[in-house]
Amino acid sequence: MSDPEPIQTQDAVHHEESVIRESLKRCSAETIEAAIQFHHSGNPELANTIVIGILARFLEPDQRPKLNEECDHLRLMDDLGVDSLTMVEVVMLVEEVLHISIKNEDLRDLRTIGDVKAFVNAVARGLPPPEKPVCFNVAEIAEVMPQQPPFLFLQDAEIGRGEARGVYKISGQEFFLAGHFKDRPVFPASLQIEALGQLGVLFLLKGKHPDIADGVDASKIYFTSCNGVRSTRVCRPDDVLSFFLRPKRIKHPLAVFEGAVTVNGEKAAFAEEITLTFDYHQPVLPETPAPVAANP
Amino acid sequence: MRPVVVTGLGFVCSIGNDKETVRKNLRSLKHGLEPYPPFHNPKIPVKLIGAIRGFDTSSPDAEDWTWPSQHTIKREILRGLAPHGLYAYCALQQAIADARLSQAEISNPATGMFTASAGSASMLYRNITRMFESGVMRCSPMGIVNSVVGTLSFNLVAAFKIRGASCGFASACASSGHALGYARDEIALGRQDRMIVVAGEDGNLESILPFAGMRALSPSDDPELASCPFDKRRSGFVGTGGGVVMILEAEETALRREAPIYARFTSWGQASDGYSPAVSHPGGNGLADSMTICLQSANIPPENIDYINAHATSTPIGDHSELLAIQKVFSNIQKPTVSSTKGLTGHGFSMSSILEAAICCLALHDQFLPGNAHLRNPDPAAAGIPLPTETKSSPLHYALTNSSGFGGANVSLLFGKR
Repeated sequence: MSDPEPIQTQDAVHHEESVIRESLKRCSAETIEAAIQFHHSGNPELANTIVIGILARFLEPDQRPKLNEECDHLRLMDDLGVDSLTMVEVVMLVEEVLHISIKNEDLRDLRTIGDVKAFVNAVARGLPPPEKPVCFNVAEIAEVMPQQPPFLFLQDAEIGRGEARGVYKISGQEFFLAGHFKDRPVFPASLQIEALGQLGVLFLLKGKHPDIADGVDASKIYFTSCNGVRSTRVCRPDDVLSFFLRPKRIKHPLAVFEGAVTVNGEKAAFAEEITLTFDYHQPVLPETPAPVAANP
Repeated sequence: MRPVVVTGLGFVCSIGNDKETVRKNLRSLKHGLEPYPPFHNPKIPVKLIGAIRGFDTSSPDAEDWTWPSQHTIKREILRGLAPHGLYAYCALQQAIADARLSQAEISNPATGMFTASAGSASMLYRNITRMFESGVMRCSPMGIVNSVVGTLSFNLVAAFKIRGASCGFASACASSGHALGYARDEIALGRQDRMIVVAGEDGNLESILPFAGMRALSPSDDPELASCPFDKRRSGFVGTGGGVVMILEAEETALRREAPIYARFTSWGQASDGYSPAVSHPGGNGLADSMTICLQSANIPPENIDYINAHATSTPIGDHSELLAIQKVFSNIQKPTVSSTKGLTGHGFSMSSILEAAICCLALHDQFLPGNAHLRNPDPAAAGIPLPTETKSSPLHYALTNSSGFGGANVSLLFGKR
């Protein structure tokens, strides 16, 4: 004989609710409501509201207004001042309220608010966590890119869902440095923007983005325009250029990115918009049967 | 050896949360002892503490804590603090303002911080209880940093961006005396230009009540009687907590920036009883040696000492030992005036030495001799030693302060008028 199904009494419901209210007592009323609803319905749509509400509670008050609707690109550490210890506090409370378990190694890959939302969404739906960024070394990059040495300015790259990162170390042997400038090699700012564009090409070819279908043709990607470009640092041999690129809008045949170049965390160049055109491989048309002779 | 001076003080203690209140209460001998609600239990044989007013750190959750509104603390700092970390943080803000130090003068390789604290028994207990009840992965990530010995250093060195020497001292009730002494040496030897010395104690049930098991606490529920150092009726000490900060600087550094100067930190000495882990040597041998070493290291003859702020906590054995030690060091000469301000403040354990050193600095600066609160019938061993029962204005050139910790660790600190 099995035990009878436990019956959740009204008292037990009240108790659970008061536990949630106590755990979330420093969160917004909206967050608490969402958590109570989640407790009753298990509706994964509520997970984002709860997680962002919990994150807000751990931010210094002056940082909280940043958590608006357009905050997915914000980096937890650099933009919001959330250090690894605060992240542990956030995760403990999220685990408690959503009744989920988050592994330490999964935590390490969560860099932006977007990453956090995607991760919690997947876990709350019982799905595997979103894919980690894919890394490419210099050989793998050269294999897929239309650009090739000596005009390839990416040595390492990491393509995630909503962003791409890349690295290029200025060796001093680049052919153009002999003339840019006389006796004073400086890596041209225009080529830093070119490198950001190349990272955009790699993103179109290898990134997973809802607005990019499979089968982008490497030979059909071209530069279209850029806006809001600023250069703020002179880059010389031995500097390591770090590239960061984030898609702003992608709608075939145009992909608009925002990009930044830094050296050791110091801003070197920035582009508000870099626009590339792209196209897909021509679909291979099914062989149509030879027309039956109509007119004899 | 470079001369060292005291340029800043900060107080969160039972007789005041700022310098002016402490001054006023020393002058009027107004004590800070009161009944402690967690002791309202027939099974608990003690009733009083030296109360910290204006703070509430009773919740296990630091984010529930409250503190006087003139102090601001960020959450990311608060989460690593024990109750005494909060007290010390506030005292440190006061001391920095008092010494008129800029951020750049605090955060540089020539400015260090030494701390003294016994850690936080209550935080340790809460963290370990949570670990057993809910599992270690449900414990606060700051559960070590907010509790173990060293918690003051970990937190305050980071919060105030200290770049010079930093170290914590744990020698029970002599801890902050050691911290001050070694901080003075850092400057005197030219390794640092400025040292911030910080001490704190939770002063709550978990930190005080275990001393009742040693039969060291006064069972009295009368605040006018419970803490009466050197009195024949003394029956144990009254525990307290808080945070006290003293800023030391090389005299040349202080003069260059035209800093306010309270007193000269003339010398210090230490010696041990080698006798018992918990009871002071009945003849006060170690304490007599530490006073002698302190005076000899500065070539100051004993007759030059005007005032001793005694360690005397109001325990039968400890106060007696200290009287014998003073008789020995100052034999055949006129005895200095002696008082124990623990009659007012209660005993703040690792913090007591720096609190009493800070009181000596105020006394030297303002030229007064603090009296013995609650003293009516002095111990006969005090024969010939002036034990005033009121605070009086008086010329004061040298003030010595004693501290004794478990294991018979004794520290004596000498301050001089400047």
